[in-house]
Amino acid sequence: MAQKDFIKGLQRKGVPEEVIVLVKDHYRNQSDLGKAAHEELVEIGLSEEQAADLLGRLIKKTVAPKKKAAPKKRAEKEEAPEPVVVYEIPDKRKEYNPFELQLLQLSEQLQLELPRRAILRIAHRLEGNDISHDELVKILTRSNQRFMDHKMDPNESAGILAAQSIGEPGTQMTMRTFHYAGVAEINVTLGLPRLIEIVDARRVPSTPMMTIYVDKELSNDLEKVKSIASNIEITTVLDLADIETDLHNMRLFIIPDMRKCEQKGIIDPLGLIQERVARLRGIVIVPEVAAETLPARAADSDIGYLCLEPKDHSFKNLQKALEMLKTAKVKGVEGITRAILRKRDDQYIIYTEGSNLREVLRIEGLDHTQVYTNSIQEVYDVLGVEAARNSIIKEASQTLEEQGLSVDIRHIMLVADLMTNDGDVKAIGRHGISGRKSSVLARAAFEITAAHLLTAAMTGEEDHLDGVAENIIVGQPVTLGTGAVNLIYAPVKKGAAE
Amino acid sequence: MMRGVSKRIGSIKFACLSPEEIRHMSATKIITADTYNDDGFPIDAGLMDTHLGVIEPGLMCKTCGHKVDECPGHFGHIDLAMPVIHVGYVKEIKKLLQATCRSCGRLVLTEEDVKEYRHRMDVMEELGSDAVEMREFSKETAKAASEKAQKEVCPYCGEKQYKITLDKPTTFREFREEGHKLTPKEVRERLERIPDSDLIPLGIDPRACRPEWMVLTALPVPPVTVRPSITLESGDRSEDDLTHKLVDVLRINQRLRENRDAGAPQLIVEDLWELLQYHVTTYFDNQTSGIPPARHRSGRPLKTLVQRLKGKEGRFRSNLSGKRVNFSARTVVSPDPWLSINQVGVPVYAARELTVPVVVTKDNIETLKAMVMRGPAPEGEEYRPGVNYVIRHDSRRIRVTDRNAETVAEGIEINYVVERHLMDGDVVLFNRQPSLHRMSMMAHMVKVMPGKTFRLNLCVCPPYNADFDGDEMNLHVLQSEEARAEAHILMKVQEHILSPRFGGPIIGAIHDHITGTFLLTHGDTRFDKAQTLFILSKMGNNELPEPTVIGGMEYWTGKSLFSTILPKDFDVTFKSSICQKCPKCEKEGCKYDAYVKVREGRLLMGTIDEKAIGSFKGKILDKIARDYGADMAREFLDDVTRLAIGAIMVRGFSTGIDDEDIPDEAKRQIEDKIDSTFREVDQLVASYRDGTLDQMPGRSLEETLEVEAMRKLGEARDEAGRIAGKHLGLENAAVQMAKSGARGSMLNLSQMAGCIGQQAVRGERLSRGYWNRTLPHFKKGDLGAQAKGFVKNSYKSGLTPTEFFFHSMGGREGLVDTAVRTSRSGYMQRRLINALEDLKLKQDGTVRNTADNIIQFEYGEDGIDPTRSVQGEAIDIDDVLREVLGEHKADLLTRPDESKIGGYATLEKDLMETISDEEEEYEDADFEGGGED
Repeated sequence: MAQKDFIKGLQRKGVPEEVIVLVKDHYRNQSDLGKAAHEELVEIGLSEEQAADLLGRLIKKTVAPKKKAAPKKRAEKEEAPEPVVVYEIPDKRKEYNPFELQLLQLSEQLQLELPRRAILRIAHRLEGNDISHDELVKILTRSNQRFMDHKMDPNESAGILAAQSIGEPGTQMTMRTFHYAGVAEINVTLGLPRLIEIVDARRVPSTPMMTIYVDKELSNDLEKVKSIASNIEITTVLDLADIETDLHNMRLFIIPDMRKCEQKGIIDPLGLIQERVARLRGIVIVPEVAAETLPARAADSDIGYLCLEPKDHSFKNLQKALEMLKTAKVKGVEGITRAILRKRDDQYIIYTEGSNLREVLRIEGLDHTQVYTNSIQEVYDVLGVEAARNSIIKEASQTLEEQGLSVDIRHIMLVADLMTNDGDVKAIGRHGISGRKSSVLARAAFEITAAHLLTAAMTGEEDHLDGVAENIIVGQPVTLGTGAVNLIYAPVKKGAAE
Repeated sequence: MMRGVSKRIGSIKFACLSPEEIRHMSATKIITADTYNDDGFPIDAGLMDTHLGVIEPGLMCKTCGHKVDECPGHFGHIDLAMPVIHVGYVKEIKKLLQATCRSCGRLVLTEEDVKEYRHRMDVMEELGSDAVEMREFSKETAKAASEKAQKEVCPYCGEKQYKITLDKPTTFREFREEGHKLTPKEVRERLERIPDSDLIPLGIDPRACRPEWMVLTALPVPPVTVRPSITLESGDRSEDDLTHKLVDVLRINQRLRENRDAGAPQLIVEDLWELLQYHVTTYFDNQTSGIPPARHRSGRPLKTLVQRLKGKEGRFRSNLSGKRVNFSARTVVSPDPWLSINQVGVPVYAARELTVPVVVTKDNIETLKAMVMRGPAPEGEEYRPGVNYVIRHDSRRIRVTDRNAETVAEGIEINYVVERHLMDGDVVLFNRQPSLHRMSMMAHMVKVMPGKTFRLNLCVCPPYNADFDGDEMNLHVLQSEEARAEAHILMKVQEHILSPRFGGPIIGAIHDHITGTFLLTHGDTRFDKAQTLFILSKMGNNELPEPTVIGGMEYWTGKSLFSTILPKDFDVTFKSSICQKCPKCEKEGCKYDAYVKVREGRLLMGTIDEKAIGSFKGKILDKIARDYGADMAREFLDDVTRLAIGAIMVRGFSTGIDDEDIPDEAKRQIEDKIDSTFREVDQLVASYRDGTLDQMPGRSLEETLEVEAMRKLGEARDEAGRIAGKHLGLENAAVQMAKSGARGSMLNLSQMAGCIGQQAVRGERLSRGYWNRTLPHFKKGDLGAQAKGFVKNSYKSGLTPTEFFFHSMGGREGLVDTAVRTSRSGYMQRRLINALEDLKLKQDGTVRNTADNIIQFEYGEDGIDPTRSVQGEAIDIDDVLREVLGEHKADLLTRPDESKIGGYATLEKDLMETISDEEEEYEDADFEGGGED
């Protein structure tokens, strides 16, 4: 719908047809297009003049300078050489076997409205049995008849049905936040708090978690999987070593702790840390330290130590340097605090606490098609809305199912579709869907009443009374269900009935 | 008579009032702060002026000439001596002052920029941006302008701009020299200078709201009907909060005017001006941050305009979105198995108050006359409806009394409306809060009964979530024919047997009904003729089935009795609730009688229990509702209720503390098991202390110990339960209830007979209380089982004092949890409803909101109604195959991996499996007393 408007808008502006055809697949609306740089337009196949003309017609390119600067910067960043992970998108299209094809064709001949999924289920059931053509026809037509009977009536208030179906079991859910899911060691928010989190579309879930599958060939090699896992888990300086502060000389000593290193499977901690620390700004490595200034622990350490000092000697900088060191990443993926292996069905799976989909997808040796995170926002950022929508459905239905509550998936789909309707993930609540309703009265009745009324008066908003809340407020029948239709009674004249 | 809505409101436009408009619509100008004179009559030009409407009977409105209830009330106005800022718009005013030139009032942006911004706004509008996005954009524009104003001079008049700040809540300062204070007058003058064309990019519609109107020069005075005064018993008048506030405004306004006119010192005038600003501010919003709220004499903060609208008790949520109604009743509910599920027992007392309007026609005039004749309180044993009111052609209501009953009856003409009492068969709506889903409000048929409670069939308890520990429910009598028709078709109880949440039955047998059918059908039960007749007599006119003759005696089996209530061509096969889940199902050869098979309406084998007729799980119920329709399902449920009651009365059923008796030998075994576990835990603790405990990956040593100990103790509890369970066979009443799904679980039983087990708070063993220990009865740092909340005893053997304390710790968590959860989930549901309420399925199969945006192209990807779906699937393939191919062949086709036998949509957990279930059990306990349910 949006695209149609977009195309119409361009036509009205007098943009030639061939340009529209080229442009429409790359930009979603006029403002996006307006923001596009001249070069970008040329890249997608427009000639120089066409591009200039198009931009001229849309908006003069001297828009607020701030706006222009931002995308450019981003563009530069994107150009920066980054390892592009290329992996084959598996062809998930189902191949039909002859029997399934036969059924599908049959249903087409009979002009049935039965969805493919149902036909395939029938096929699965009947396959390999001797069933006559007549019987097949009978089965299909009967199924189709039932299917049509089970369709939802028009004007049904599907939204309220969904909201109630998800909300009502909420009272039966537990509040207890933590429980294991899959692995005993990783805590995951479950129950009502998790459901609320999903519906709120929080940026970061309270317990982000990932499930990572390793490449099929590697999945049985414990050592390989272990090394992948340790590359995913974040390791900071503090995880490998202790840091001592020498206030007198304003120096920091990093003293590796062998016990910790062994646990992490790191043999040469000093080298790793040194490499990392060398990249930190404002800190320099002191190559040689006089023995008398050495703290006792550093002197005792049998694998050596690393001495650092801030570039500009001051206590403030020393403090800063210490903070920087503490959180400096030696290796691993930002945000993933723990990675745990579990054997499932003959293959090792990595479960992580913390989540960073974008970075994990860059790691080699994984089955990228099966990497999963429970952070909906991350799915949206990396894979897009459709994936986010599926992620919402999956997370919400899993949460409900885990609590032993059965809710029809269609309800959850509707909520997910509404949340992702205009291209990004919106929360259910005053900051998301409810705050964007077109009706002033509906918004005022929900939350922050006074502010909505005042701005409505200022901007001269008009409420067309289309929705439910508004009509209840003014005391009119709502436009759902039986309120959506009018009955007209045409009296039959006496005697005409016979 | 006109009914229904013949006209609709098309739209409502919002705008600000200009001072001219305020004065124009004003009925009178208010000058004096006094309200009433010595005689108690309103003073002219006072706040209670009769031009503003009347609230006392007998007085006449001077504006419209109507009396109380007829006069809607009229606005007045106060002319403010000095302009005052409207608190609601301070932010906007600040934005405007910052973005516009201080001398010429133009937006501090170049002509091109303005054009550009306006153009972009047009584009946004064209692309269908919503109000929020438009507002964001105009904010951006204002910000750009104010930033430009900081650095540059006005592009139109070259005036230098200064920084403008806002001292909360209503004082503006301009940083010309030492933060010059901008008076509202100056602010108003500046706002006046802003041209209309510059307002649009700032998101203000100049036709709806000129910015200078945000600085008030005239204040509308709401009609008295909006702020009625109440006369106390003592005869004193108590004024509304708004009136109090307006009195304050008037008083200060008067003093300000006098002082200004008398040429008082600037300082005094300014002080008064600020005071006026304070009063006007609190008149609008008494919770403005930065100023103390205005208080009543008693110290209570006043409820002014914003407070009236805001929040749950505000106008919007409590009067506009929810409305009070007439023709409703509320009382305690109690059970009655002899009612049908779609009936409700209404006490006579309520039935005489609740009325149904009936239009008099030539066909019913005689019956109605007879009814009116009976008056408002007919006598006699039998309940007969009377009449409370008669409405004449001219819409005058005549109250029917015993005295005038006859005269009124005679005067009845066609097209009069008679409000007769409720009688059997009327449709009413029945509701229990919280109304979480549509099944919380269903239509029932009235049955007038003696007593003082509403009576309902037990099968409708699950959808209402009602019990009888003092629950109250509401009843609404429908007043129009259209409403009654809709209720009949859409809202009756039987239409809601299948839940839209999961496509299974939500209404079904509970508790004793399940026990009853279990006793009736389990195993080879036999009843002699007397018993059989007793049971069948409960159900009405069922025929006596063919008897089985054994040894010359006539017997009826329980299964054949149950078969009498099944439809004649009913086929179903499933596993019942008592199924032991053997590794290999013996099917027809099940030795537990758990394989239910019904052919042609005859129960051939198997036990009827929760899986057959229960709410949420009942297979037979599900199938009947689906295949035979709602009315058949209603009849079936009614019959089941009565049959079960009959059966349980013949057999007799009771449970008591001796149901949990287990032999001493078993007790000893449990003791041994627990003791050995204690020792194991002690060993764990010892190994933790000397550091030999193997740490679990990713867990600290303490956590490892806790997890291990919890696991061990959990096992001990399970083992104790198993040992106890061995001695509790199916002949035990408590076990019968647990296994058949009527009430309770095996976990409950094992806790009563065996061992209660570990108490937990937040899923961990108890640890808080004293320093390093839970109670002073233990040594500091004791990590053993009993010191951390393991309850070794059973409910029956009794708890030791420490155990009892631990147990109540665990119990308290459950209570807190419930309390927190209800509010949290309530809010979530409110938000969900609010976000989704506008969505509906259109004729073309798409789901759209009322703004006509498509949300889904096909509802649920296949357009299937979840209510009609078969456990979420579009069609029941088994059924179709059986129908087309015949039963035998269809059975052969059943694939083991997807056979649906037994399993239902609800996930079933074995309660014996996990510790975590323990806490859920607490929730079942009726902690909610009768008072608040």
